[in-house]
Amino acid sequence: MTTDVKQGSAAVHEQLVQRLRTHRSGRIPKIIGPFTPLLLLVIWEVASRSGMLDARFFPPPTSIVGTFADLVMAGTLQSHVLATLSRVGVGLILGAVPGLVLGIALGAVPWLRALFGPVFASLLPIPKIAILPLLLLIFGLGEASKWVIVAIGVFFYVFYNTMGGVLQTQPIYFDVARSSGASRWRTWTTVALPAALPSIFTGLKLAVGGAFVIIAASEFLGSRTGIGYLIWSAWGTFSVAKMFVGIVTISLLGYLAGLLVARLERRLVPWSRQ
Amino acid sequence: MGTSAIELTGLWKGFHDARRDQTVIAVEDVSFSVARGEFVCLLGPSGCGKSTLLRILAGLDEHDLGEVRVDGHASVVFQEHGVFPWLSVEDNVAYPLKVRGAGRAERRRRVAPLLELTGLTDFRGAYPHQLSGGMRQRTSVARALADDGEVLLMDEPFGALDEQTRLVLQQELLRIWPDSDKTVVFITHSVDEALTLADRVLVMSARPGRILADVPIPFGRPRDILELRRDPRYGEITYELWRLLRKEPAETRPS
Ligand SMILES: Nc1ncnc2c1ncn2[C@@H]1O[C@H](COP(=O)(O)OP(=O)(O)OP(=O)(O)O)[C@@H](O)[C@H]1O
Ligand SMILES: [Mg+2]
Repeated sequence: MTTDVKQGSAAVHEQLVQRLRTHRSGRIPKIIGPFTPLLLLVIWEVASRSGMLDARFFPPPTSIVGTFADLVMAGTLQSHVLATLSRVGVGLILGAVPGLVLGIALGAVPWLRALFGPVFASLLPIPKIAILPLLLLIFGLGEASKWVIVAIGVFFYVFYNTMGGVLQTQPIYFDVARSSGASRWRTWTTVALPAALPSIFTGLKLAVGGAFVIIAASEFLGSRTGIGYLIWSAWGTFSVAKMFVGIVTISLLGYLAGLLVARLERRLVPWSRQ
Repeated sequence: MGTSAIELTGLWKGFHDARRDQTVIAVEDVSFSVARGEFVCLLGPSGCGKSTLLRILAGLDEHDLGEVRVDGHASVVFQEHGVFPWLSVEDNVAYPLKVRGAGRAERRRRVAPLLELTGLTDFRGAYPHQLSGGMRQRTSVARALADDGEVLLMDEPFGALDEQTRLVLQQELLRIWPDSDKTVVFITHSVDEALTLADRVLVMSARPGRILADVPIPFGRPRDILELRRDPRYGEITYELWRLLRKEPAETRPS
């Protein structure tokens, strides 16, 4: 009898192991989730065709597809996308790296924070787009002015979230580093940085969103390329369909960039329970 | 045992809270010494300054008056254990080796026996949030052993554990300590734990912490923590320690 019971429980044990191994809770929602924004397009389509939305300003998405295809055929859309993406990409790096380094430095070193914290605090409230004309004067109409304005916007998101993350680190972690004989540099890389990572990623997600807002606005004014320019020039010719191609494209880019950061976060922050 | 590994003379430590304008004296005129290779327990009520004393011994806090001498490097098991959530168990244990520049292979080699010892081998790749409280505590003990200082400072390392796990780990500690050559200062507020482990028990008063008594524990080594409890002296010393702890409040402030 006892052996029977044992065999039975061994079988159950094995079964449970199998179930836990293959079971991923919420797997289907996770796969479908990224596509649910398409639902918005469907609602828009129906609303526009049924007259709930004014089709002059909100033409149904399917009617925009034609314009979209034309722009792709001519290669215009791709070149605008490329222009915008490269500006956002360069700007992100130019802003995020100093944001990260300074965020950790000011978070971990009290006298640096006391000394220079007010400098950043006083610069923070300046609306970034308000300094675009100045940047255009300094850097001209070329790429540099776009990089710099995106970088400035990104910097503040990353800087403040990094510093906040370091400041919220439990002091005991720094004690462990010290009693283990870690140098200051080692303490930054092995404690301050990883402790702040979850918060750094929050900053990065906000920064990516912000970067697309800033780039669109700055392409309205000082550029002949980029999705922002596409939207702006469509206004000039009252081409609503083209405008929407631009709007949908840049939203999509922002959305995908956000997904990319979230993916990176899962890779780099495996300890945060999600 | 002529040479001492730790020497405290007339040590004072206070904290001032500028916001409330309040000063707390945490440690008052504490003097004691610990011989090389000795196992000393600091026993005292909550808030009496045990952790403060340990942080001073570890070189993490400055003292205000008196003198401190600690020979060699001190490894610490913190009361809040401080296991890094961003490192696996194995990397947590190897952390002191890593920050001192040990290579990957050397870290693996030196950490493996410690994981075995603390029963964490099967979980070496797990992150702390996947562990039980006791396993996290063991990770922190293993890390201090990897740190391998001549002095081992342990702040209620088994405090958060259930009675059974605590006994097992006490037994383990007693098993590995004699060969390690380490001088141990072990903080606890459990009378049982103090006399199970120590060569000497230093009894502290309630805040401000002073040393009330220095009680030698007569049990030999190796010790069996179960057999120990049948020894008639066990009851006597237990009584003596409790008496010291109980009578204390009335005498703290003579004025
Ligand atoms: N960083 C600090 N700032 C201000 N006061 C402190 C600080 N650290 C400790 N204290 C005070 O010093 C006293 C002793 O604290 P300590 O942590 O050393 O007690 P303990 O004996 O370890 O207590 P427990 O057994 O509860 O851990 C307490 O009154 C505490 O409020
Ligand atoms: Mg304490």
